[in-house]
Amino acid sequence: MAHAVISCLHANHAALEAVLADIDQQGIDTITCLGDLVGYGPQPNEVVELIRQRAIPTCQGCWDEDIIEGLNACDCSYPSQLAERRGHLAHQWTADQLSEENKDFLANLPMSLRRDRLLFVHGSPNSQHEYLLPNMDAFAALERVETAEADTLFCGHTHHPYVRELRDGSIRVRVQEGVASGGPSEEREINLPVRRIINAGSVGEPRHGNTNATYVIHDEQTGTVEIREVAYDVERTCRAIVESGLPAIFAWRLRHGFEYAERADDASHVCER
Amino acid sequence: MARWALISGLRGDLEAYEAIQEDLRHTRRVDTLFVLGDVIGPARNCDALLSRLQQPRRGELRPQCLYGWWEDQLLAERGYRGGRRADALRLSQGETAVDALLQAVDPGHMGWLAELQFGFIELDCALLHGSSATVEDSLGPDSSPLLLLDRLTRMEVNRLFTARSGQQFSIELTGGGIESQVRDLEGQRHQQQSVPKRQVIGIGAGVHYTIYDPGTDRFDFLAAGSRSQERARGFA
Repeated sequence: MAHAVISCLHANHAALEAVLADIDQQGIDTITCLGDLVGYGPQPNEVVELIRQRAIPTCQGCWDEDIIEGLNACDCSYPSQLAERRGHLAHQWTADQLSEENKDFLANLPMSLRRDRLLFVHGSPNSQHEYLLPNMDAFAALERVETAEADTLFCGHTHHPYVRELRDGSIRVRVQEGVASGGPSEEREINLPVRRIINAGSVGEPRHGNTNATYVIHDEQTGTVEIREVAYDVERTCRAIVESGLPAIFAWRLRHGFEYAERADDASHVCER
Repeated sequence: MARWALISGLRGDLEAYEAIQEDLRHTRRVDTLFVLGDVIGPARNCDALLSRLQQPRRGELRPQCLYGWWEDQLLAERGYRGGRRADALRLSQGETAVDALLQAVDPGHMGWLAELQFGFIELDCALLHGSSATVEDSLGPDSSPLLLLDRLTRMEVNRLFTARSGQQFSIELTGGGIESQVRDLEGQRHQQQSVPKRQVIGIGAGVHYTIYDPGTDRFDFLAAGSRSQERARGFA
């Protein structure tokens, strides 16, 4: 069965409408959303309400969490002080705009969703704030999937869609218990399982280098993954950003499809709070 | 280069601490004493040990202390961890254990306990109570090598000294690798990665402690009072 996975909608109603239309055109009726319904974009209520109306199973993203819990993430969430200031502005604006009913919906989203051996999270199984970048240490990436007892991990948060397969892994160890350096030891080797990480990219704030919204279609039977790009009315959202009083840089980013000077320094960092 | 002594899990046992200090007095070239947490516990009053750690006697090594799982639970219950309380202790051992822990430590020590750090980085070694992920992470000889490698990678160190399990062990990562294939909108890339040579060392608890020599990368697992065994292993 083919199913679609969307993520990082970021209050961009035009992009969400276009992606849902594209999914409908493929004849797919199982959709999972990996969170970040709000933040940066100008239509938080409209986006939350469309997800609720379509009854799309959704897990909580970092923005969804922070809007409810307050800005309590450590500064690892922002790659620069400038980005942090702009993020705080967007946070305040979004918190002011969201209806209580929609806040309540975001507050009650689960951290993860699971279907058999498929696990759906926003950032990583550890935290909504952790970035699983495509080039992160392969063993660390595999550990995230394996510790979560999944075969395939679906994530978002990076706004960069990718499919990563980790295979032919092994680790050899020498174990000593209760004896000093040079004492008797036991050699072991473990073979690591094949696992996949599928990043759904971003519907509402693409950062892969062009303006198209991205999402993925996964076929559980064949294992195939299609990364889909969907054009939408970018200017409509950009105008709404400027008219709403949000920082104009958010519109600039949408027009260019990448996050200017904003790249996480330490993708492996886990927010401790 | 001088050696380190690493201890943990005293849980208020001043006699065990004194036995270790006595051992160290007779062990040459140990110049740094690290205490990797769990200096308190609910089983006995911990005030005398806490006072001694803060005010060493003349000639004793001054300990460099971290907080462990028990300190974390006490700090949480006393309101030093935001909204979090000693939920893990409450869940695992019940309300009686929480009350016993509160009784075991005079509130006058809370300021000192609250200033203890999560971990130390010394040279290319991480000194932690649990792991780089969390203070409650219990690493041992049966831990998944994948998990151990992750905990090492998170701190970008070659050696991780841990205390939470209370066991004395060494696990060296000696080889292996993994292949990774990434496909995105720009195409497909293939990567190969080897397992770096790294090590996790469990230092023991109570009178069981570890001596580590960063100059030679040698470690020795000891029990306070067994100095003759250590000499037999070649330390001069």
